[in-house]
Amino acid sequence: MELELTLSPPNQRRQPTKKSGHGGNTVTKSPLLSWSQEEDDEPNKTFFTGDYQQDLDGEGQGLNGWPPLHSWRRRLIEGEWFNERVDEEEGDNMNEVNNIYNESLFVKVKMDGVGIARKIDLNAFHSYQMLTTTLLHMFDKYVEIDEDGASYTLMYQHKDGHWLLPGDLPWEMFIGTVQRIRVARN
Amino acid sequence: MCPFPDEVLERVLSLIDSHKDRSSVSLVCKDWYNAERWSRRHVFIGNCYSVSPEIVAARFPRIRSVTLKGKPRFSDFNLVPEDWGADVHPWLSVFATAYPFLEELRLKRMAISDESLEFLATNFQGFKSLSLLSCDGFSTDGLKAIATHCKNLTEFDIQENGIDDLGGHWLSCFPETLTSLQVLNFASLNSEVSFEALEKLISRSKSLRVLKVNRNISLDQLQKLLLHAPQLIELGTGTFMQELVSDPIKDLKNTFGNCKKLVTLSGLWDATPLYLPVIYPACVNLTFLNLSYATLRSGELANLLSHCKNLRRLWLLDTVGDKGLEAVGSSCPLLEELRVFPADPFDQEIFLGVTESGFVSVSHGCPKLRYVLYFCRQMTNAAVATIARNCPDFTHFRLCIMNPGQPDYLTKQPMDEAFGSIVKTCTKLQRLAVSGLLTDRTFEYIGKYSKNLETLSIAFAGSSDLGMEYVMGGCPKLRKLEIRDCPFGNAALLSGLTKYESMRSLWMSACNVTMNGCEVLAKERPRLNVEVMKDEDGDGSQAHKVYVYRTVAGPRRDAPPFVITL
Repeated sequence: MELELTLSPPNQRRQPTKKSGHGGNTVTKSPLLSWSQEEDDEPNKTFFTGDYQQDLDGEGQGLNGWPPLHSWRRRLIEGEWFNERVDEEEGDNMNEVNNIYNESLFVKVKMDGVGIARKIDLNAFHSYQMLTTTLLHMFDKYVEIDEDGASYTLMYQHKDGHWLLPGDLPWEMFIGTVQRIRVARN
Repeated sequence: MCPFPDEVLERVLSLIDSHKDRSSVSLVCKDWYNAERWSRRHVFIGNCYSVSPEIVAARFPRIRSVTLKGKPRFSDFNLVPEDWGADVHPWLSVFATAYPFLEELRLKRMAISDESLEFLATNFQGFKSLSLLSCDGFSTDGLKAIATHCKNLTEFDIQENGIDDLGGHWLSCFPETLTSLQVLNFASLNSEVSFEALEKLISRSKSLRVLKVNRNISLDQLQKLLLHAPQLIELGTGTFMQELVSDPIKDLKNTFGNCKKLVTLSGLWDATPLYLPVIYPACVNLTFLNLSYATLRSGELANLLSHCKNLRRLWLLDTVGDKGLEAVGSSCPLLEELRVFPADPFDQEIFLGVTESGFVSVSHGCPKLRYVLYFCRQMTNAAVATIARNCPDFTHFRLCIMNPGQPDYLTKQPMDEAFGSIVKTCTKLQRLAVSGLLTDRTFEYIGKYSKNLETLSIAFAGSSDLGMEYVMGGCPKLRKLEIRDCPFGNAALLSGLTKYESMRSLWMSACNVTMNGCEVLAKERPRLNVEVMKDEDGDGSQAHKVYVYRTVAGPRRDAPPFVITL
């Protein structure tokens, strides 16, 4: 974390010259001093477009009606069709999951050899076994997986950046530190 | 005076199909105008508010087929509020009296209620062909009415609509006596239909040439359907993944091999390397392959395409990556159209998708390319210049760099030269969609070089009013201009004063246009409808969304409260 002293705060938008509220972007006012929180692997992308700066949230939906995909196709993407949410396979609506943290904890899961990554809500699971079983089931329509998943190894990225094998930490501590998950081929 | 008897003239003119040619014919002289209007069977209305149903019915007494388009195209991206309009019912009411023998209705971006569908089904005895694309406002109950009452139905084509799917019972409403079906497309309906009813329907529809089922139809079920309909020309499959049953692959392969007339294939939901090979026997004849619902990777695609030498049109998901596009370039030399859709446009860290490199590979191997829609996350001016050189015959060039205002990622320059090279090289260009960081220079190029451009889409681009002024000052054939989030203001809007009447429409949203500017335009050009959609926030002086179109019908009488006609 760095403290940056500037007149124009980093990672904050200037007022665009057009009217506010265009395209669904939110414009935020900001103090002169701010913490610059650069996460190593998730930099905010700032594009200088001449008239205004735009921060694009790499995770969120961002602008209204952009990119210009037919709403029908967009529903396919946001629904279960290309990027399934595990909670739907679990049969639970993610808003109804009752958990001790009472919030969603989505992490990305990438399997070797599969182009599409997935997102799962770790708060929907209660054990490593449940996680492993579900992950294998989630990906088995893309690659052949033997019953016990013997040819694959689960790895996770700790919040300090290192990749580790799960199992050392109790489950509750694990979900507090995991940033993303990889299912690696042996 | 015309030397031909009317009947002869009408007979000759009845052979002319193109509505543009017919428009020209009608301008020759009064006799030709009359002969043309009596012989016209199909009318195409590109903007439902440009004319009224009464005017159409008065001019053309013998119409059998109508194509009607409603909302501005940006409504596909949810930029047009619900209840904006384009209700089909006023048209149906007039047609029920004027064209009781209407046979075909093709609707795009119209608002349709179940009551309207029921009205259609019960007021037109000989009705045969219904096609609904990007429409909304109806449910499967409305489809039930069509299936139940239209005894001579040949076409039932339901695509990508905002439909309330209450279940698949509509399919069971087709009577046992219906044997005339030629086109059945319900790929975009989610609910399960009765397979028994479907199988019976297919087996008695001997003229069926197009069948597109939804994802609920399994491979086993598809197999059975194809055995009943080997004569199909276009097929949309259901899911292409299921539990292994006793050796279905050989049977499926044979079945596909028996479909000798198949030229179009789509669907292929959930397709994996396991079942994809069953289509190989049919691939050599395919001219259009739509893989945009299948998350294929490069290797699977390469294997598949090696069988598809005759492909003219290919739609893909960007999961195939640049490597997959290399395979396109090396396997499909006859390719004319390529569309690459993003599988996950909102998550750019996990999956890069396709880049400039993939596009360049395709351009090397497919010099006949004329239609491209390409979603990507990075592009360079140099790559586009290469692509233009390799494929000078582009008629439709739609490039979407998904991060707004993104420059050439190598040189950090604006993407002006990229689109400059396209418009300079591709003289046949009819449709262009631009993206990336663009200054007014891009539009200077477009205005100067695009002599055949008819449709232009601009988003998050330009530096000043000049940009739009360049376009309005050039582009002699411009018909449709749609702009969002650009710094174009009143001067830009008014620079098109003399042009808008020769265009179908102009859309401007989130630009710098004010109510004053729109009022000036409306006053100067009374034959245009200048409509402003109010924004809830913001003061009343900014014109948040502006839609301008030529019309002979005067201001809309059905405008909702948030649409102000000036």
